[in-house]
Amino acid sequence: METLRPGPAEGERVAEPPAASFPRVVTGTHGPEEGAGLGTPWPDDVPPDQDDTWYPLKDDPYKARRMEYIIASLWAVTGGCGIGLMIAYWTGGQAQVEGALLAAAFGCLGAGLLLWAKFLLPGQGDIVGSRGEHHSSPEERAAVVASLSRGTDAMLSRRGFLVKKVLVPVGGIFGIAALWPIASLGPRYGRFLYHTAWYPGARLVDQFGKPVLASDVEVDGIMTVFPEGHTDTDIPANAMSPAVLINIGGDTIVERKLNEGFEVRYGGNGLVCFSKICTHAGCAVSLFNVLSMQLVCPCHQSTFDILEDCKPVFGPAPRPLPQLPLGVSPDGYLFARSDFVEPVGPGFWDRGGPA
Amino acid sequence: MSWLRATRLALARGRLAGPAALVAVSVAVFSTLAWALPAPAQPKGAQPAQRSMEAAGVTASQAAGTVPVSTSPAEVTAGELLYDDHCESCHGVGGVGAKGPELLDVGPAAVDFFLSTGRMPLNSPTAEPRPGPPYFNKKQIAEIVAYINFVDVSHGTPGVGIPEVAPACARQTANCPTLSEGNELFLMNCAQCHDASGAGGMLSHGYVVPSLRQATKTQIAEAVRVGPRPMPNFGPGQLTDQQVSAIADYVYYISHAKNRGGFGIANFGPVPEGFVAIIFGLGLLLIVSRVIGNRG
Amino acid sequence: MSTVAERAAARKRALIAEKAFDELDDRLGTSKWLRNAMDKIFPDHWSFMVGEIAMYSFLILVVTGIYLALFYSPSSAIVVYHGPYKPLDGQSMTQAYESTVNLSFSVRAGLVMRQAHHWAALIFLAAIVVHMCRVFFTGAFRKPRELNWTIGVTLLLIAMLEGFSGYSLPDDLLSGSGLRVVFSIIQSVPFVGVWLAFTLWGGPFPGSSAFFSRLFVIHEFLFPLLLAGLLGAHLAILWHQKHTDFPGPGKTERNIVGSRLWPQYAVKSGSLLMFIAAVIFGLGGFVQINPIWVYGPFSAARASAGTQPDWYVGWLDGALRLWPHWEFRSLGHEIANPFFPGILLPGIVFAVIYAWPAIDRRLFNDHEEHNLLDRPRDKPLRTAIGVAALFFFADLTLASATDLIGNGLNISFELLIEILQYGSFVAPIIAGFVAYHVCLLLQRTAAHPIQRPVGGIIVRDAKGAFHTLGYEHAHGGNGHGGNGHGGNGHDAGPAEADAEEGARSWPAGQHGAGASAGPGGG
Repeated sequence: METLRPGPAEGERVAEPPAASFPRVVTGTHGPEEGAGLGTPWPDDVPPDQDDTWYPLKDDPYKARRMEYIIASLWAVTGGCGIGLMIAYWTGGQAQVEGALLAAAFGCLGAGLLLWAKFLLPGQGDIVGSRGEHHSSPEERAAVVASLSRGTDAMLSRRGFLVKKVLVPVGGIFGIAALWPIASLGPRYGRFLYHTAWYPGARLVDQFGKPVLASDVEVDGIMTVFPEGHTDTDIPANAMSPAVLINIGGDTIVERKLNEGFEVRYGGNGLVCFSKICTHAGCAVSLFNVLSMQLVCPCHQSTFDILEDCKPVFGPAPRPLPQLPLGVSPDGYLFARSDFVEPVGPGFWDRGGPA
Repeated sequence: MSWLRATRLALARGRLAGPAALVAVSVAVFSTLAWALPAPAQPKGAQPAQRSMEAAGVTASQAAGTVPVSTSPAEVTAGELLYDDHCESCHGVGGVGAKGPELLDVGPAAVDFFLSTGRMPLNSPTAEPRPGPPYFNKKQIAEIVAYINFVDVSHGTPGVGIPEVAPACARQTANCPTLSEGNELFLMNCAQCHDASGAGGMLSHGYVVPSLRQATKTQIAEAVRVGPRPMPNFGPGQLTDQQVSAIADYVYYISHAKNRGGFGIANFGPVPEGFVAIIFGLGLLLIVSRVIGNRG
Repeated sequence: MSTVAERAAARKRALIAEKAFDELDDRLGTSKWLRNAMDKIFPDHWSFMVGEIAMYSFLILVVTGIYLALFYSPSSAIVVYHGPYKPLDGQSMTQAYESTVNLSFSVRAGLVMRQAHHWAALIFLAAIVVHMCRVFFTGAFRKPRELNWTIGVTLLLIAMLEGFSGYSLPDDLLSGSGLRVVFSIIQSVPFVGVWLAFTLWGGPFPGSSAFFSRLFVIHEFLFPLLLAGLLGAHLAILWHQKHTDFPGPGKTERNIVGSRLWPQYAVKSGSLLMFIAAVIFGLGGFVQINPIWVYGPFSAARASAGTQPDWYVGWLDGALRLWPHWEFRSLGHEIANPFFPGILLPGIVFAVIYAWPAIDRRLFNDHEEHNLLDRPRDKPLRTAIGVAALFFFADLTLASATDLIGNGLNISFELLIEILQYGSFVAPIIAGFVAYHVCLLLQRTAAHPIQRPVGGIIVRDAKGAFHTLGYEHAHGGNGHGGNGHGGNGHDAGPAEADAEEGARSWPAGQHGAGASAGPGGG
């Protein structure tokens, strides 16, 4: 049993609650117990009487009146802001003005409410109640088991085979049948991920559709290119096609032989073309570090060595950027000699198969 | 007792120390952030590089979309003197190269860019060129540009001329770039390194991509044409003069336009935004909770 | 003191209320419930309000979201922009993007509402995380509140997805890159990955023409319904079980000390809502967030530096940057790289978080009910694990900003990523170790760090030496970290023996030599 600190005698009031954070014991109206209904005895470590009408400024009407004026003026500011908001909206609105007025309005409203609660409203933070019992009684618990068994005993013991051997398998079959149409929710992707919009003879064009001459990109220059007629990447068929055309000048490039024995060469004139779709997670790779001849992806910092056939040298990218074989037409325009020889972009389960 | 006295008492008793400390820390952190992170640049006066041309008495003509460089012997000689004092130790006599690269074919745009952005002269040959306050004044820059131009022309490789940036038009016509064209070009060619807002970024091997928000239009156009390493260059076959102007106009526009939504917090995107939301937004609300609730 | 007029007015009000309640009770039988509700006691420690911050942020999200939904167009149809923002004039873009740009520039109060909505989302998730940490570190998830923990973690998960789907709706370059990354993560799932990604998007990336209306339905309808429903369940369980409370004078496992719902707690809660609205709208007006007009419409051929998701997804983005470039290929199939940091890691993380109440029970061999909270120092092991987890997430979140940090501090991102890779397991270990010992240290001081110390119990042994027991605290067997009293090597004193159910009051007045004279010296 704790030592209860005796409170002031009846009728005697203190200006502030006692400094200790201990429940106040003041005679007054009986505080009802939590959840257990009136008349139930209190647990013996909880005082029986609590004053539910006390608040800090109850005995000081002058201070209470002053507090009311403070709250009223705060709320007057809120009202003023409301009018201001109407005017702001009427005259066309401006984000900072609206934000300031809304913040001031809500802030003053909240401040007024807070002062009201802290100084002028009863029910302060030292009310004690009982947690009550949220468990059911042992009799109830036994009764619920009995209610359930009323059904399950009958369903499973004598007619067990109806439920266990018929209903469950049939339900399973029907459940699978109900889920079956999900398979047609998605489009069949077929060979989609294995091809882009590039085809043999497709001319390279820039973002505005202008065909690219072999002489357009200077040494240490980079340009984003698309297959002719496929510059709109909102169309899914075009989204994997963007490529970067780089002029590496006189540097030699290492040719990479793929697992399947394909050989990829670079197109001469110092021009090489690689897929712009990162093999890690699909962002557009085109940060070009001229000093180290690397392409960097801005999303997760995968770094590809251009002279090593865009092999990844840092970061999470697992595979090199696929290369687009280039050709130069007689009138000087660049074209692709074929599609990328391997699937572009991030990996997927069936990627290991032949292109 | 009055609320003022109550506040003072509570402070003395240390009860407000916690919230007060929290407020002080939040204010300190946020102010430091606001001060340390660059705010949107304010519009400046005429561009220094252009002024250097005007100061040199050169009139802009429409020849080939570049700003002509002075060829007066007085300027070239003055430039040579400056070059011998400040540049020869790395770039060799007459620009043939030594510890630093040769300058026989760089052209006036490169020289103007590196000098006006303060990247050159370097304190040591192995230092990485970084933007900063220019070492030379506009007249001196014009003189050095004139000298190197003279050297390059004499060598037979004139290099990239200083681009002339045409102001943006409302509607696109021939020779008149629009902001919209600049926007499309910038987002396709420049944003991946310099950030869509021009705030800068990061390349491999520790190269910092600088912010564009303090650059002049001419400097931007020069950088696009020259390709100061590790930046790639964009030649006339790839971008016309009008397109380069469009990019320069657009970058200048977004660097100086007022942020419509309010304070830009460095224009770096979700990272500083998250910082503000957690530290400032939720922090403020936790202080509010502290005031509303009990402390026991 | 009330005057005659005030008392008469109060009587009149009571009569009206009586009539109103009677009418209601005649139809619904509500009086008993309403009385219990109004008299309900809520412990009002300030840290219990963090969950309310989350709840009210959600409310503001719904209100501002309705406003935005009236102007946003969830359509992939291509339109040409001709509006006040000159740099986009004449460009083709999806209607989703165009409607968002119009919302920002042409709709009055549109920009404030959009920005307030986004700030509210960031604060919503921050509040959920801080609330979850509070619950974790104080052991509020223990029996009988495990179900509420499960509901809460599900709320966190759905809130993250809701935020992601929300900022992806404008179809700008930044969020579109995020969609591309998530598409790749889903695609990397073995067996069904491609099918799943194609099903969700209605085809290959960037999706069918129905994608944005689908995303809109998910963000506008499906997730808010789930959030509201789960939030309702969360609050109903809390209501029924009553809130936990910190141990203190007069508080036991069987009683509850706090403020009455009416009028005290309700009005204070209302004031909290107002302050939250003030902060959110203040940020919405004064601090720019997600300026989609700068990023431009999404294109698969474009990317921007500084491509990060919102902060609450940052740990996943950081994981993708830190994860080594492993990919496993054999027999014509491969498990692609994004699968490990994108699916496996968050799967394990959330599995552990969901299972934590069970783990906690095992760890401390504690199968009892608890209505009184632990202070974090009372369970050093749990606190250490929590701190370690926080440092792990912080490391990963930092990793999502390596390019920006490198730009700001002039450090290469190669070095930063390497440091953070090692840091992802070194930092949690060190932080957990330090936290553990700080807890033990704090236990020895025996005083709440901010409140006045109430005094320790000093015992003199047979040899005459004095030993400090710390404070008397019959908080179950692990009240002192399971090690007895740190540093003194002294056995648990008589106060420890008093661990009976119900008598968990502090201080236990009848025990101990120097039983504290009670608070306030009474």
